[in-house]
Amino acid sequence: MPEQHRPTFTRALLALNGGSSDAAVVRLVGELARPTRAALIGVHVVEIDWTLPLDSDVAGASEDAQRILDVAEGVAEESKQSLETVLLQARDVGAAIVDEAIERGVDLVVVGLPYRKRFGGDFAIGRTIPYVLKNAPCAVWVVRDPMPEEAS
Amino acid sequence: MIGGRRPLQGRKLGDRRVRVERPHSAYFRYTGRNQLVAKAAASVPATPAGRLVARIKAVALGRPLHSDEEAGERLSKKKALAIFSSDAISSSAYATEEIVLAFILVGAGGLAIGLALPVAIAIAVLLGVVAFSYRQVCIAYPTGGGSYSVSKENFGRLASLVAASALLIDYNLTAAVSTSSAVEQIASAFPALSDARVWIGVAALGLITLANLRGVREAGNIFAVPTYLFLFSALAMIAIGAYRILVLGEGNQPPPPEVVEATRVTAENVGIFILLRAFASGAVALTGTEAIATGVPAFQPPEPRNASRTLMTMAGILAVLFIGITYLATNFAIYPIEEPKQTVIAQVARTVYGDNVAFYAFQGFTALLLFLAANTSFAAFPRLAAVLAEDGFFPRQFSFRGDRLAFSMGIILLGIVAASLVVAAGGKTHALIPLYAVGVFIDFTISQAGMIRHWLRTREPGWRYRLAVNAVGCVATGVVAVVVTTVKFADGAWLVVVLIPILVALMLFVRREYDAQAAELHVRDDLVIAGPQRDERVIVPVNGINRAVIQAVIFGRSVADDVRAVFVTTDREEGDALRERWERQIPSVPLVIVESPYRALVGPVLAYLDVLDQAWPPDRPAPVTIVVLPEYVARHWWDRLLYNQTARRLKAALLGREHTVVADVPYRRTS
Repeated sequence: MPEQHRPTFTRALLALNGGSSDAAVVRLVGELARPTRAALIGVHVVEIDWTLPLDSDVAGASEDAQRILDVAEGVAEESKQSLETVLLQARDVGAAIVDEAIERGVDLVVVGLPYRKRFGGDFAIGRTIPYVLKNAPCAVWVVRDPMPEEAS
Repeated sequence: MIGGRRPLQGRKLGDRRVRVERPHSAYFRYTGRNQLVAKAAASVPATPAGRLVARIKAVALGRPLHSDEEAGERLSKKKALAIFSSDAISSSAYATEEIVLAFILVGAGGLAIGLALPVAIAIAVLLGVVAFSYRQVCIAYPTGGGSYSVSKENFGRLASLVAASALLIDYNLTAAVSTSSAVEQIASAFPALSDARVWIGVAALGLITLANLRGVREAGNIFAVPTYLFLFSALAMIAIGAYRILVLGEGNQPPPPEVVEATRVTAENVGIFILLRAFASGAVALTGTEAIATGVPAFQPPEPRNASRTLMTMAGILAVLFIGITYLATNFAIYPIEEPKQTVIAQVARTVYGDNVAFYAFQGFTALLLFLAANTSFAAFPRLAAVLAEDGFFPRQFSFRGDRLAFSMGIILLGIVAASLVVAAGGKTHALIPLYAVGVFIDFTISQAGMIRHWLRTREPGWRYRLAVNAVGCVATGVVAVVVTTVKFADGAWLVVVLIPILVALMLFVRREYDAQAAELHVRDDLVIAGPQRDERVIVPVNGINRAVIQAVIFGRSVADDVRAVFVTTDREEGDALRERWERQIPSVPLVIVESPYRALVGPVLAYLDVLDQAWPPDRPAPVTIVVLPEYVARHWWDRLLYNQTARRLKAALLGREHTVVADVPYRRTS
C-alpha cells in the first residue's frame, strides 16, 4: 500500500471472537500499526447470560477464553508487535466493546465477522457488529471471513 | 475487585461489564487445553542475586532468544563455498611450511627446494581422490553425511564411536592449530608480538568462545568476506610471484655447493623416510575437506548437486593455492624462521608484495581466515557433542541449548581444551601438527569404508562405479592414516592413538549408565498405575518447640496419620522439659526423645529410622518414611551459614536411603 494511502491510527481495539478471522485481524492491523507504532489492544468478551451474576467466575476459569487472547498475542509477536490483552464479561458484547473503546480512548475498532447464513439463506451479521457500527465514536473496520466455497 | 474481577460501568445504565484479571498472562500463554508455553518473564530469577547474574549474563551474552528465532538460512554455492571451505582453504596457510619444516628437522633443509613441490603435488592428488570420494557422500546422504552418521548407519556403534572420537579430537585441534597459525601470521607482520603469541591465542579463543555463546551465526555474510579476501589476495600473490619467476627470471637461486652436498648425504641416509615425513606433515592441507559433505542440508536445492559441485570447486581452489604457495616458497628459497616468528606464507607475501600495505593486508586476511576456520570448530564440535548426547554417549547437558540457542556446554568445553592445547604447544602451530592429521585420516578412512558398505547394501543405479571411487578413497586415506601415524608417532601422534580408545570407552560407559538408568525407570506401556500401595509414616526431627517445628508437624499430619517427632539431646533434663511442654501443647503427636551421650546428632536419627524399619511387620511391604525437616529460611546469603547446618547433614545422610523421602518445610521470616 502506498504510504500516502496508508490509514493512520494511534491506538486500536481489536475485538477477538475466537474465530478464524482473529489471526487475520491481528496481522492486518499489526502491519498497519508498525510505521506509526500504534498501540494495539485485543479484547475478548465472554457473554454472561441472565441466569448468572455478571461478576461470576466464568471467563477467568475458562481456558478457552484465555487461549483466544494468548493466541492473538502470539500472532502479534510473530509480526513483531505487542498486543495488550483484555478479558471482559458482559451481558452484551457490542456494548462492552464500545465502552472499553471509549474508556481506552482508541481511534479505531476492528471487528472480525465470520461468513454465516441464517436459516433460510440470508447473510447473518449478528447483533454485535451493527451495535458497534452504530455506537462507536471512532472509526470501525469490519474484516469479514472469505465466503465458504459451498456458499459461493 | 473481587477474585480478580473488576466491575465497570458503561455509558448507559444497563451496560455493565467486568474486566477479568489474567494473572498467568505475564508468565505463560495458553496454546491448547492444559498446555502452556512459558514466556521470557517466567525464566527471570526470583532472587536479587539471581537477577543480577542474569543481567550480567545478558550484557555479556545478549538477551535470551526464543527457540523460534533459530536461523535456518539456505546457502547459495558462493556463500557455502566461503563458509564451509574456510577450514580447508586456511590450511594452505601452514601446509607448505610443515613440508619445509619436515625437511629441515632431519637436517635436509636444502632438499625442500627440490622436493617440496613434488610432495605438494602428491598431496594435491590425494586431495582430489578424497574430494571425489566425498562427492559420493554428498549424493548418498543429502541429510548430511558426517563420518559419525555414515559409520553409524553402515557399521554400527563401535566404528561410529571411533569416528566420533577422531572428529572430536580434530575439532579441538582445528581450533587450536588455526588460532596458533593466525597468531603466527600476526606475529610475522608485527615481530614485536612474537613473545606474546600464547596469550594472544588464548585471548582470541576466549573471544571466539564468547561470540559463539552469544549465538553467532556461521551463515552470516560476515563469515564469507574473509574467505574471499584471502582467496583473491592469495591468487593475486601466486600470479604475481609466478610472473616474476617465470617471466622476469627471479628466484631459482641455486643453493650453495656445501648445502647441496650435505643434502645429498642426508638424503642417501634417510631416503624415503624424509619424503614420507614431509608428505605426512603436508597432509594437514586436507583437513576440513569433509565439511561440505556434513553440511549438505544447508545448501539451496538441489542440495546434493550444489554441495558436490561446491566441494569439487573447493578442492580445486585448495590445490591451486597449496601448489602455488609451495612453488613460490621453493623458488624464492624461503624457510620458516622461528625467532622472531616468520611464517613461510608471510615471507612469500613479503617477497611478492614487498613490505607495504598489500603485505600487511594479506597477513590480516590470512589471520582472519584462520580465526574463521577456528570458529567452524565452534559450530561443529558442540553440534556433534549434542548428537552424541542425544544418542546417550555424552552427558545429556551437552544437548541442551543455552539462552542464545547455542550448545553452551560444548562451546565452553571446546574453548577450554583448545586454549589448553595452545598453551601446551607454546603457541607453535608446528608442535600441534603431529596430532592433527592422524584423526583426520582415520575419519576419512572410516567414512569411505562406510560408503563402500552403503553401496553394497543399497545397490542404487551406478553403484559399481561409486563403490570403486569410494574404495580408492578408502585405500588411499587408509594408507595415509597408517603412514601419518607411523612417521609422526614419536612426535605426538601416539597421543591421538591412545586418546581415541579412551574416548570410545568413556562414551560406552556413559551409554551403559544411561541404559541401566532407563531400564530401571522403565514403566510398561500396558500398566495402569494404581493408588499408593505402601503405608506412610512421618518422622519430624525437632530441636524444641518453635514456629518452624509446628509448621513442619502440621504438614506431617496432613501427609500421614502416623506422625512422630524425634528430639536428639545430650542433656536428659532438657529432654524432660521439652516432653512436658510438648505433651501439653502438641498432645496429638508423640515425641520420641533420643539421648545421645556421645553427642552425635545425625547418627542417632538414622539408627532410630533403622530400628523402626526392623520393627515393621515382615508380612507387610515396608512403609514409606517421610522425614520432614523444619527449615528456617535465611534472608541473606551470609545467613545461610548460621542456620540449618544439622538439617543439611541429615538430608545428605538420608540421600539414597531405601523407601525414604525427605521433605523440607521452609519457615520464612516475616520481619
